[in-house]
Amino acid sequence: MLAVRNLHAEVNGTAILRGIDLDVEPGEVHAIMGPNGSGKSTFAHILAGREGYTVTEGSVIFENQPLLELEPEERAGLGVFLAFQYPVEIPGVNNVYMLKAALNGIRAHRGETELSAVEFLNLVKSRVKAVGLDEALLNRPVNEGFSGGEKKRNEIFQMSVLEPRLAILDETDSGLDIDALKAVSKGVNAMRNDDRAFILVTHYQRLLNYIVPDHVHVLSKGRIVKTGGKELATELEERGYDWVKDETLE
Amino acid sequence: MMNAFATSLKRELKRLKENKSQTAWPSLEPLKYAAGERVADSGLPTVKNEAWKYTNLVSLSKTGFSLAQKTDQTTLDRNSFEYIELASDCENRAVFVNGGFRDDLSQLHFLPQGIKVWFAGSEPNAGADELLKTLGDDTSKHDIFTDLNTAFLEDVLIVEVEKNSVIDRPLHIIFVGSSNEPGLLRLPRIIVKGRCNSSFEIIEEYVGIQGDLGFTNGVTDIVLEEGSKIHHSRLQVESDEASHIGRLSVEVGKDGDFSSDSVVFGAELSRVDIDVVLADQGASCNLNGLFVGSGRQHIDHHTLIDHVAGNTQSEELYHGILDDHSHGVFNGKVIVRKNAQYISAKQTSNNLLLSGQSEIDTKPELEIYADDVTCAHGATVGELDQSALFYLRSRGICEEDARALLTFAFAQKAIANISFPGIRGWIESRFLGHHGYSKLNSVLESR
Repeated sequence: MLAVRNLHAEVNGTAILRGIDLDVEPGEVHAIMGPNGSGKSTFAHILAGREGYTVTEGSVIFENQPLLELEPEERAGLGVFLAFQYPVEIPGVNNVYMLKAALNGIRAHRGETELSAVEFLNLVKSRVKAVGLDEALLNRPVNEGFSGGEKKRNEIFQMSVLEPRLAILDETDSGLDIDALKAVSKGVNAMRNDDRAFILVTHYQRLLNYIVPDHVHVLSKGRIVKTGGKELATELEERGYDWVKDETLE
Repeated sequence: MMNAFATSLKRELKRLKENKSQTAWPSLEPLKYAAGERVADSGLPTVKNEAWKYTNLVSLSKTGFSLAQKTDQTTLDRNSFEYIELASDCENRAVFVNGGFRDDLSQLHFLPQGIKVWFAGSEPNAGADELLKTLGDDTSKHDIFTDLNTAFLEDVLIVEVEKNSVIDRPLHIIFVGSSNEPGLLRLPRIIVKGRCNSSFEIIEEYVGIQGDLGFTNGVTDIVLEEGSKIHHSRLQVESDEASHIGRLSVEVGKDGDFSSDSVVFGAELSRVDIDVVLADQGASCNLNGLFVGSGRQHIDHHTLIDHVAGNTQSEELYHGILDDHSHGVFNGKVIVRKNAQYISAKQTSNNLLLSGQSEIDTKPELEIYADDVTCAHGATVGELDQSALFYLRSRGICEEDARALLTFAFAQKAIANISFPGIRGWIESRFLGHHGYSKLNSVLESR
């Protein structure tokens, strides 16, 4: 589904990614862990198509398409979704209208017709309950005045409506209390199926107690330095990232 | 060498003198002629004049002008031009084409009790004659475009709202520009008097037939007596090739309230002056504005709020959106006179530049001569938020729609302030159509 090969990227001349290789198959959940500054978020943003990064080497193939050559909206149309670490507040743009425009954009990309107003509303109502987002927030401007937890729930809610094939969650656990973390995890777990893959970018192992990954990768200085199963996350939590760094050096 | 404007002026003044005997209002002739002479003496202002620093009138001076004929029989019917459809089919509507009143397009027979509408000059009337004296007061303003309007005016619309009358249906005044002759001069003139404790609403709308090349120079004078309140909507959607210079002068009496929406989508060159004098204790005003420029449009708003009396309040919020090579100007002057204590004045100018070539000059001017004054002003100039743009695109919204959505959201802050729902809806759809944002309609339709 996703094949990342020798990906190098820099920001303003500073190398951030130094050769990432990653394969993700449908149905899999991959966790990418690593210390601050290891390049985790950069990797997530590059996959979604954010400007400001220069890819100097390597390739990313998603569903047989060269992902890096596509506009962000084309990637979304193919089924890539990024849940932001810091969801953007957009005053004046209503949450539901934004989502309607997004869903219509994606459906048009897939050659599907637009949903009718009633169908859309029914979809929204069923999904908003599933992630435990306050329904009153639907008709508010996107993320404006939302608490940290509400913003993250809103990301997961959007994901559940847009039904991506590859969902990238960038530090979705940061700043969440335990109840919000459980609700967000529940929303994600409900979406797990054989066709859909997840990449969880996280600093802490905590999230992985609720969303159990198939593979755990440790990113350090722009490279994946260790890969293992879910037990690797637990080991990291106990021994810290220095342990991996030291081991890699040996 | 005389420029074309001066030549036109000389020609028309000569004609004005010669036609003296045929005029409808002999008593006004000296006033008109004196106004014309003042225009001839001063000539058009240039960019060396501080008030015209950012607005170059060279196109007017090169084109000159000709006067629209009073009996303009331009073949137009209700479907020839677009104006705001107010929900009510019994609305009060006065339509002028190229400055001349058109009975066939107007509808004034639903006027409720308490409001009187006259066309000065149509027949002798003591009430109208008294209000016409305002024209004389205007000479003290030394404003060249008010003088130009006075010198050649023909039809004056006079509105009087009687004491204690609360009029719930707006008076909708529509000026249509329709000319393939460059510089055809139209001179709308409105005089409004709100008597004590009256309350009413006026919509002043300027529209143009596609390709209209004319020049509209309008003046509206509003005087509000004690406790009188008016909501004034000024809407300009004229042709991309027309010119417009308009002035709205307002005097607010004791405990009176003036609120204004000024919305400009056209013309090519547009300058609007809004002057409000808070003349007595307890007077207040609220000015809200939205201008949207594209192509090579130039849109200038100059506002002046004069706190003459103590215990007066003003609030002002203007939004500008400029695309392509368009240029916007917002100059907001606030004066607080000596001994005018307990004043609150707030002014905000927010501007969005959609292209690298668009420009805005925004300038607050505060002259404060009293001590107990709460005065705040702020101006912002920005581009679309790149992180918001990426956020929307990452959700699957194409770049064009994402930009439109964010631009519309910016405009919404101004539109939300507009009190009349019919106008709000109209501006939204106008806005979406104006910038090719038609696709957004499907997103917003469910509202």
